[in-house]
Amino acid sequence: MNLSKHDAGGAVTMDMTPMIDMVFQLIIFFMLITDLSQRELEELQLPQARSALEDKPDPKVARPIVNVPQNGRIIVSRDVKYDPEKDGDDTLRLEGYLADMARRMPTKKDEATGLVLPDNPLMIRADANTEFRMIQRIMELCGKKGIQIWKVELAAAMETPEQIAARENKLKE
Amino acid sequence: MSQVLKEIAEEQTQMDMTPMIDVTFQLIIFFLFNIRFKVLEGKLAAYLPKDVGVNAAPAGPIEKVEIAIFVEEPGQKVYAEEPGKGAPWRGEPDRRFDFVGRKVYYQIGPKKMREMKDVGRMLKDLHDKTPDRPSTIDCRAGTVYADMIPVVDLAIDAGFTEITFVGEYKKAKKK
Repeated sequence: MNLSKHDAGGAVTMDMTPMIDMVFQLIIFFMLITDLSQRELEELQLPQARSALEDKPDPKVARPIVNVPQNGRIIVSRDVKYDPEKDGDDTLRLEGYLADMARRMPTKKDEATGLVLPDNPLMIRADANTEFRMIQRIMELCGKKGIQIWKVELAAAMETPEQIAARENKLKE
Repeated sequence: MSQVLKEIAEEQTQMDMTPMIDVTFQLIIFFLFNIRFKVLEGKLAAYLPKDVGVNAAPAGPIEKVEIAIFVEEPGQKVYAEEPGKGAPWRGEPDRRFDFVGRKVYYQIGPKKMREMKDVGRMLKDLHDKTPDRPSTIDCRAGTVYADMIPVVDLAIDAGFTEITFVGEYKKAKKK
């Protein structure tokens, strides 16, 4: 009885083409949706603001981003610059970072005070439940001689189109 | 000899795909771990006093609209996520909490307000009367970021372009 004409002893080769196609498509998908520039952004729950402008940072401009989660730690590019539990009143590392960033920023002479001040903003991203005193601490350091960063940007969540529509409907009623 | 060479030339060359598949899988793993979807995030512009820590030239007094935020009832901290969502928060720094029963009030001049719409209305009136006046936000002890952002939002909405902050860290320290 001749059941098969195939050579049962021969090596069976799997066609890899569909798998390779699929794998490359997955890579392309991840490359397109992953935003590596967001490595500086910690996962925080931001409060919502209607007047918030969309953040479109210029990659050529040095803009420091300071993250403050609800535990009060001050994190810059995943590096804890200040931990209230460990550091207490010692803000030297954060101060050093801000001074360094201020030095890298372009400067502009302020007409009112006659001072030459850094002209780029500092972005503060804090969690909705972060105590304001932690943000105040950053602001105080910004005002120190040698830093004097006076422009700040406060991160906030923008309203989604559905939320805008719901708010407008509520106003009409 | 020529027969052997002919056989070799005719033999189908098989490329070893294993290293390429290894690399592509490693790339997928890298992207999977680094994946962070783009979020709709915005920013509110504000300014800090320019003359802190230096001897600035004396300037003429400008009457500012001062908005103070006070905590009336600090509320209770409860776990924001499972496990134990809604149960009293036990102070773990890496677990999210929410506030329950938190109350804040706002003060502009002598007027106290509890509703955000009243704050918005008053800020609009003040800005319409004197559009050049800057505003300052004074967050008192116990306030959180989510108490301050809606006030900045309303001030921008009312038309204020110069928004600054007052207060000292030491004064705002926990009692």
